[in-house]
Amino acid sequence: MNKPARYAVKAAALLALLCFCRAQVLAGQQITVWAMGAEGKLIRQAADIFEARNPGVKIVTQAIPWTGAHEKLVTSVIGDMSPDISQMGTTWMPEFRAMNALEPLNGYMSSSLDTADFFPGARDSNLAAGQWYGLPWYVDTRVMFYRTDLAAKAGYTKFPSDWEGFYKFSKALLKVKPGGYAFSLPTNDWQIFLMFYWQNGGELLKGPALTAGSFEGAVEYLKRFFDEKLSPLEGGNDTDMLTAFESGYFPVFVSGPWMISQIHTSKPGLDGRWATAPLPAGRRHASFMGGCNLVMFKSSPRKALAWKFMDFMAGPEMQAKWYALSGDLPASRKAWASPVLSGNPLLTPFRKELDTAKAPPQVPEWENIAGAVNDAVEEAAFGKVTASAAREKLSARIERILAKSDRRQSPLFKIALALFIFLLPLCAVIVYLRRGKAAPAGGRAKPIAALFLLPALSILAVFLFIPIIASLIASMTNWNMYGVNDWSKVVFVGAENYVALFHDQVFLAGLRNTLLFAFIGVPISVALSLCLALALNAQMLKLKAFFRVAYFIPVITTMVAVAIIWRWLYNPEFGLFNLALAKVGLPAQSWLSNSWLALPSLILMAVWKGFGYNTMIFLAALQSIPDSLYESIAIDGANGRQKFWYITLPMLRNTAFFIIVVTTIGYLQFFAEPYIMTGGGPMNATMSVVLYMYQQGFKFYNLGYASAMAYLLFGLIFVFTFIQFRTQKRLEGKF
Amino acid sequence: MKRISRAAAFYAFMLLSVAITLFPFVWMLSTSFKGPGEIFTKQPTLLPHIWTLAGYRSIFAAVNIWLHLWNSVVYAVALTVMSVLFNAMAAYAFAKLKFPGREKVFSLLLITMMVPGQVTMLPVFLILKSLGLLNSYAGLILPGSAAVFAIFMMRQFMMDIPEEILEAARIDGFSEFAIFWRIMIPLCRPIIATLTVFSFIGAWNDFLWPLVIMIREDKYTLPVALASVNGQYNTDWGMLMAGAVLVVVPAVLVFLLAQKHYIKGIAAGAVKG
Repeated sequence: MNKPARYAVKAAALLALLCFCRAQVLAGQQITVWAMGAEGKLIRQAADIFEARNPGVKIVTQAIPWTGAHEKLVTSVIGDMSPDISQMGTTWMPEFRAMNALEPLNGYMSSSLDTADFFPGARDSNLAAGQWYGLPWYVDTRVMFYRTDLAAKAGYTKFPSDWEGFYKFSKALLKVKPGGYAFSLPTNDWQIFLMFYWQNGGELLKGPALTAGSFEGAVEYLKRFFDEKLSPLEGGNDTDMLTAFESGYFPVFVSGPWMISQIHTSKPGLDGRWATAPLPAGRRHASFMGGCNLVMFKSSPRKALAWKFMDFMAGPEMQAKWYALSGDLPASRKAWASPVLSGNPLLTPFRKELDTAKAPPQVPEWENIAGAVNDAVEEAAFGKVTASAAREKLSARIERILAKSDRRQSPLFKIALALFIFLLPLCAVIVYLRRGKAAPAGGRAKPIAALFLLPALSILAVFLFIPIIASLIASMTNWNMYGVNDWSKVVFVGAENYVALFHDQVFLAGLRNTLLFAFIGVPISVALSLCLALALNAQMLKLKAFFRVAYFIPVITTMVAVAIIWRWLYNPEFGLFNLALAKVGLPAQSWLSNSWLALPSLILMAVWKGFGYNTMIFLAALQSIPDSLYESIAIDGANGRQKFWYITLPMLRNTAFFIIVVTTIGYLQFFAEPYIMTGGGPMNATMSVVLYMYQQGFKFYNLGYASAMAYLLFGLIFVFTFIQFRTQKRLEGKF
Repeated sequence: MKRISRAAAFYAFMLLSVAITLFPFVWMLSTSFKGPGEIFTKQPTLLPHIWTLAGYRSIFAAVNIWLHLWNSVVYAVALTVMSVLFNAMAAYAFAKLKFPGREKVFSLLLITMMVPGQVTMLPVFLILKSLGLLNSYAGLILPGSAAVFAIFMMRQFMMDIPEEILEAARIDGFSEFAIFWRIMIPLCRPIIATLTVFSFIGAWNDFLWPLVIMIREDKYTLPVALASVNGQYNTDWGMLMAGAVLVVVPAVLVFLLAQKHYIKGIAAGAVKG
C-alpha cells in the first residue's frame, strides 16, 4: 500500500470513529420540541423520520395551543422550564432575544446548511447583527384570492398587475354583480396596510420611523376604495370571508396559503371559479412575510442534538416533505422545485411574492408598534385626520414606544425601596386594624374564629395579598420585556407610569367605555336576573329543573362557541339582527364595526352571557326565605304584590347588595367580550381598561405600565364600592 | 279564565327567554354533527342536512380525551372541594363568630377583590416558582382554593340565617365546629350548591392558568388539550365544536346535580322545630 492510500484509510477510519463517537455521544439523549397547534401534532411525523435516521435519540414533541402560546413561552423562560427547541413566530424573535433566552447559532453552522437558500424575508427574522438566532421553518405570504367567474363577467381574464389596473378592475367588478363590494379591505389589519405602504416605496424604522409621501400615497390609494364604496368602511372587519366569497359579497380578498385548503373543504362548490394572483404592484412588488422559525433555548442541556434536529428540519429535503405533511410553504427555495409545489398553479403567485416579501422590522416592541399602525390607519380611513397628520402622529407614537432609558439603580437601593413600598400598605393595615380596638363588637369574642379563618386567609395571604403588593411595587417601575428575565434592568420610575396614563388616549378611551359599560350593563343585568329568579321560583312553574339549566347554559357554554354564534348574529351581510331590521324596512347596520353601535352590541352580549350567575344567587336566596313569613302575611290578607314588597324584597336585601357590588366590580373589569369579538376596535370604541391592561401587560410586556393601570382602575372601583356601602348603610337605617 | 291567560303569558315568556338562552348551545350541538360545507353558510339550518360524526372522530384521534378529561376532573373537583370548605369556614367566622376587628378584616378582604386579577398572574407564577410548585397539581389548585368573592357570597347568605338556631345549639353544648358542620352546612345547601357550580365551572373552563402552570402535555386539562389542535389560521370547526360539546356536557351534568339542592323551606323548618 502506498503512502497516500494508507493515509486515506487512516483518515477514513478516524472519520468513522469520529462519526461513531458523535453518534455515541448523541445516542440515548432526549430533547423536547414545542410546536403550536396543528404543527405541534404533525411534527411528530418529522420527529419519527429523524429518530429512524439517528438510532438511540429521542425527540419528545409537544403541542402548545396558539391561544396563549406567547404567554406559555414567556412564563417557561421565567420559570426555567423552556424546552430545548421551540417553534417561534417571526415577529416574536426580537422579544425573546431581548429576554436573553435564545442560543446564538453561528457556532453550530456547518457548510452543509446553505443559508443563502432561504428566502431573504425569512432569513431576516433570524439574523441580528450578523448572528443567527433561529432557522426558518416555514413561511407564508399574502396573495389575492379572486372569483374568476365574476372577473370574466367584468371582462377580465387576467388579474391586474398594478395599482391603477386593480382600481379599475374593482370598479368594473362592482358593476357586474348585485350588492356587496369589490374588495375586502379590513381597516384594522396592519399587515394589509403595510403591504401597500411597502409597495409604494415606504420603509419602516430605517432612518425616520416612516417614509413621508409613501405613507400618504398608500393611505390615499386605499381611501379611494372606501370613498367609492368598493370596500366597506364599516363591517369589513367582521364578515365571515368564506361565505362572503361564495356569495360574491367580497369577490376579492387578501389572504395566506391556509385559505386554499379552507376554500376547498368548506366551499367545494366554488372549485374552478376562483384563483390566486400576486398582489398588484405599486412602485415595486412587496408582500408580507410571515411564518415561523425554530429556535434553541439557552437553557437546553443537549445543544448538539438540538442543533442536529433544527438543521434537519431546515434542509430542503425535509422542507418539501413538510409541505406534503402540513401544507406549510417551505422557506427553502430548493424545496420549491418539488413537483407537489411547482406543479400547483394556485401556489405560483405565492412563490413569486416570496422573493420580494418583506418582514416587519426586528424590534422587540413590534407588537406595540403594529397596534399603533392599526389606530393611525383606521383614523385616516375614517377621515378623522388627514394622511399626513396621521403619519406625523404615528411617527411620534413609534418614537415614544421605542424610547429607552439606560437608567441603572444599585440593587441595594432597589431592594430597600421595594421593601419600603411593601411595608407601607402593611403598616397602614396594622394601624387601621388597631384603631378602635378598644370598642368590642359586642357579645363574647370567640378565639376559635381564628381556626375557621386560617386556611382561607393563609392561602389568600400568599397568593393574593403578596402579589397585590408586588404589583403595587411593579407599578412604580419600568418592568418590561427587557427586565422580565433580568432584574438589573428594572428601575424605579416613581409616578411616571401614572402620569403617562393620563396622557394616553387609548387608556382614556378605555376608561370612558368601561364606565359606560358598567352604568348601562349593571342595572340591566341585575334587574333581569331578579325577574328571572322570581319567575323560576314561581309556584306556577312546572319543570323547574329544565328552566334552571336553560338559564344557566350561557354561563357554562364555552366562549368560543358563544363568540361564533354572536358574530353570526351580528354579521352585516346575513346576520339575524340585520334580517330582522330588513323585515321592518330598516337599513342594515354594522353592529360590531360602527363606533356608536359596537359598545351596546357588546353590552347586550355580556348581559346575555352573565345574567345566569346572578339569577342562581338570587334563586338560592329566595329558597331560604321561610314560608312562615309568607303564611303570616297571607293571614293578614296581603296580595302577591304586597308579599313581594314587604317580604321578598327586604329578605333579599343582603343578597341584592352583594350582587350589585360584585356585578359592578365585574363590569368595571370588562374584558372577555371585547377581547374575543372586537379586539377593542373600531377606533378604540370598545377598548376597556382591563383589555388595554392585558395588551400592555401580556402582549407588549410593559408590566410596570400595566400594573399602574390596574391600580388606577382599583382606585375607581374602590370609590364606587365605597359609595355603594354608604348607600346601603343609609337604606338600612330606613327599614 | 284570567288565571289561565296569565299562566299562558307566563309560559310564553319563559319559553321565549329559554329559546334565547339555549339557542347557541343547541347550535353548538348541531354544528358538532355537521360537515365542513354546512358550517358557514348564509342560511344555517338548526339541524344538519347530513349528520356526521367526523368532528368527534377527528377530536378523539387528535388527543387522548380520557387522559385530559381525568386531569380536568382532578383539577375541578379538588379545587371545588377545597374552595367550598375553606370559603364556607371563613364565611362562617365572618358572619356568625364575634372577634375583634371582624368588620375591618372583612372590608380589607373586599378591597382586594377590586384589584383586577390579571396583574397578579405573573407575581403568583414567581411565588409558585420559588416554592417549587410549578408543574404540579398543588401549584395549579392552591391559588384558587380561597376566593374573596366566595367568602363574601357565603357570608351574606349566612347573615340571613336566624341567630336563634345557633344559640339553641350552643346551649345544647354543640362545639363551633359541630354547629358549622351539622347546622350551618345543611342550612346553606342552596348557596353551597351555587358555590360548587361556580367553582367547578370556573376551574373546568379555565384555560390560561393550567396552560401556564402545567408544563407537560400529559398534564394538560381538557380545554387546553382541545385548544392545542387548532391551527393558527386553519380551524376545523366541526372538530372544534365537538370539543366544545365534550367540555360543556360534564359541566351541565354537575349543574343538574347541584340544582336539586335548591329546596325550599329548610331554614323555615328549623325555626319552627
